[in-house]
Amino acid sequence: MSRFNRRRKFCRFTAEGVNEIDYKDLATLKQFVTETGKIVPSRITGTKSQYQRQLAAAIKRARFIALLPYTDSH
Amino acid sequence: MRHYEIVFLVHPDQSEQVPAMIERYRSIIDAGKGTVHRLEDWGRRQLAYPIQKVHKAHYVLMNIECDSEVLAEIESAFRFNDAVIRNMVMRREDAVSEPSPLAKSKEEEEEAAARAAARAERAAAEAEEEVEEDAETDDEVEDESEVAEAKE
Repeated sequence: MSRFNRRRKFCRFTAEGVNEIDYKDLATLKQFVTETGKIVPSRITGTKSQYQRQLAAAIKRARFIALLPYTDSH
Repeated sequence: MRHYEIVFLVHPDQSEQVPAMIERYRSIIDAGKGTVHRLEDWGRRQLAYPIQKVHKAHYVLMNIECDSEVLAEIESAFRFNDAVIRNMVMRREDAVSEPSPLAKSKEEEEEAAARAAARAERAAAEAEEEVEEDAETDDEVEDESEVAEAKE
């Protein structure tokens, strides 16, 4: 039954025609990490693989310069 | 000449040295005939996790175009400067000069603050009209708005 209720997933970046995911765009990046700071898999978000790779790189850059946490237990 | 994007974090106690540091790096770039395409000072920000036991740091973003020798010089300057607690250099394909989302969000905050101040001013003026007070209080309200502007 839940199969019928579930909303169709779509890739936000494809829909918006994003050129490059910016590691400084925290508002966007925060939508793709969990409360514990993990990167949300594309099978959950529906992000296209090209964008998922860019997203992962952007999140890791943001983590390195302490804009995003690696975990919630720092 | 290649394009690079540099972010570096300065220890909050050395925050007042930041303009001098930027000037020094700019002179290094100028000496190597490079150019600075974008320079942003994000100010003191809360870190997502402590680095070297500090919880805040002063962020600076630079987009530059320079030779590898100049970049090596800047990187060694970062390495030997204890005030720089972290730095990240990335190669970019082209010059980026539009403001970054972080700088934009800061500007928006300032604009929102300005709007709030203007709103408060208008509300004060309207309240004044209703009460029809004398000229003395009018001056006072103007003084307040000047104070608000000075704070911004």
